[in-house]
Amino acid sequence: MNDRNRHPDNNRPRRGPSGAGSEGPSDGRLVEVHSQLSRDKDEPAEGFSLTPIFIVFLFCGFGFWAGLYLTQNSGNFAPSAFDLNAPKAAVAGGPVAFEPDAAKGEKLFLANCAACHQATGLGVPGAFPPLAKSAWVAGSEERVIKAILAGLAGEIEVNGVKYNGNMPNIGAGLKDAQIAHIATYVRQAWGNTAEPVMDTKVAEVRKAIGNRAQYIPADLLKEHPLETK
Amino acid sequence: MTQENRSGRPQGRPPEGDSRLTRTESQLRGPFLLFFISSVIWLLAASVLGVIAALQQGSLAGGPFRDCEILTYGHVAAAQHNLFVYGWGFNAFFALNLWLLSQLGRFELRNGWLATLGGVFWNLALTYGVVLIFAGNQTGFALLEFPREVGPVLAVAFLLAGFWPIVAFARRPTGHTFASQWFVVAASFAFPLTYLLAQLLILWQPASGVVQAIAHSWFVSNLLHLWFGASALAAVYYFLPKVLGRTISGYYLAPVAFWSFVLFAGWTGPSALIGAPVPLWLQSVGVVACAMLIIPVIITAINFHGTLSSEGGWSRAWNDTTLRFVSFGAVAFTLFGVLNTVFGFRGYNSVVRFTSFAAGQEQLLTYAFASMVLFGATYFVLPRLTGSRWPSAKLVHVHFWATALGAIATIIALLVGGWENGKQLADASVSFQQVAKAGSTWNAVLSVSAVLLLVGHVAFALNAFGMILKSSAPASAGRHD
Repeated sequence: MNDRNRHPDNNRPRRGPSGAGSEGPSDGRLVEVHSQLSRDKDEPAEGFSLTPIFIVFLFCGFGFWAGLYLTQNSGNFAPSAFDLNAPKAAVAGGPVAFEPDAAKGEKLFLANCAACHQATGLGVPGAFPPLAKSAWVAGSEERVIKAILAGLAGEIEVNGVKYNGNMPNIGAGLKDAQIAHIATYVRQAWGNTAEPVMDTKVAEVRKAIGNRAQYIPADLLKEHPLETK
Repeated sequence: MTQENRSGRPQGRPPEGDSRLTRTESQLRGPFLLFFISSVIWLLAASVLGVIAALQQGSLAGGPFRDCEILTYGHVAAAQHNLFVYGWGFNAFFALNLWLLSQLGRFELRNGWLATLGGVFWNLALTYGVVLIFAGNQTGFALLEFPREVGPVLAVAFLLAGFWPIVAFARRPTGHTFASQWFVVAASFAFPLTYLLAQLLILWQPASGVVQAIAHSWFVSNLLHLWFGASALAAVYYFLPKVLGRTISGYYLAPVAFWSFVLFAGWTGPSALIGAPVPLWLQSVGVVACAMLIIPVIITAINFHGTLSSEGGWSRAWNDTTLRFVSFGAVAFTLFGVLNTVFGFRGYNSVVRFTSFAAGQEQLLTYAFASMVLFGATYFVLPRLTGSRWPSAKLVHVHFWATALGAIATIIALLVGGWENGKQLADASVSFQQVAKAGSTWNAVLSVSAVLLLVGHVAFALNAFGMILKSSAPASAGRHD
């Protein structure tokens, strides 16, 4: 270790090797002494300073605050959240308005309905009635929703063919939005061209019928006659 | 003023060759003078345009040049902004960063013609861009106003002219490094990257909608913090210990300052977009980055003000031309950091949004901090490279007082005027006409201070060019003093 590097910490004016007066230290020396300073910080030359420990706590505090601020003011990092003062639902990243989505409906249909009605929507001749081109799913959306929510049991005529069906209350275990997606899909797939269904409508119907037994198809027809044959 | 008596003689001069210069300095004299002279010319041009822009803005009737289409505010303000940043700020820091890292790394610039070539390209592209701005051909993005074909030329010119500090750093003889070196290396890497990416995302392959605004805010914050900020910090870290002849106090904290500065500065951009339709989390990240930037500001305050406070450092700094400018800049940086943190927060930000406040903050960083440090550095470096004295001590005084007072008045007018303006705009009972009238006092202050700045810059240019001309004889012609 070089002799002139011994007391780097005491802020004493230093002369360059050439003794150039007010010019200060040479550049090489400037680098050397400071690099020494950052390595040998364990040997405080004069007295003990509380600054380092205080600064560590201060900066940790800043970091802690930064984490808090970010989590509380970032709308759950949702790409659709823009405004701090927006309603909670919007900030939380939930859907602001329900959009009936036939693609989501298709997935839900395949999981919940296709076992009987088949992915083609044609059902199974003699056992399960078709949904494709069926007058039952077109027209009144309440009829579809009620069938999904409560199920159907008894003789039912679809497209001129009679079935003796027993459809369980599949919809009781699904959310309003999911039923709306399924109904929308069913009403728009396989050549069907009915209007989409909103989740608010499903909630309305669910509230109206309560927790009831399966419909008898003839009774359901009395409430909502088929619009077309 | 001790400055005038400085011999301009560096230490450890070699016996051979030019007796006044170290080998390091004689190699980079050519490129340095090219960068420096062009920077001062651009500074003068920007100051003249600044006066015109201030007069235009200050008059509700359209200003004295209202009938001259070329000199409308939109042209003049954009040209002034670009010339100040790319003409003055970049050329001057090309020169200073190169000198600084060559000195610290004992680097001998061998292919200086490459740097010179880069400087020529840079200034030609700049001239072309400014001419096009006056012709009415500018993009809508601040500091990217040059038509897009200028961008690649500037980028290549930067690589030629601005990359030498990194070479000097890589070739340094010892393993030791110093704070100035870290900051200059960071600045030299950060600018070309952000510039190219911003060019690409905004002008060449425009990203969709709001992403452009995000990219632009990111670019501007990087340019201001990581080019102007980091380069000027490097200079302060060098000149304080160099001229005072003592070590930086609390130097062991400097690495933290460096890393936190580099880490957070790049994220501060989105805070300019608070209230815009950008994702909330991005705005909040900007707020947090602005707040966390207080860490390097605190550390540099300890480093700089601590060094200046011991053993009569302040009075010595006041009596030394270089340090008078540099410590002015150091104080301005601390002030900038505090304001940046406070006005990053949503509550305060919502008041000053859409006012001149942001321009005031930018002036605080680019002028009161970076430019003043550059002036100070020039008073140190130029006598060594030219081997002559500053021709006139009076002009040095004029330079300091005109620029210092001009800067203070400009910044106060922009900040306080912006704050008042924001308060009035948010008050439904104040009509817009009243708001505009209330701002006219501040506009008058801005016009006067623009003239002050011009006076200061002319004094500086006269002095500097006088000195360079005096020594323009071949280096071997001997000393003039």
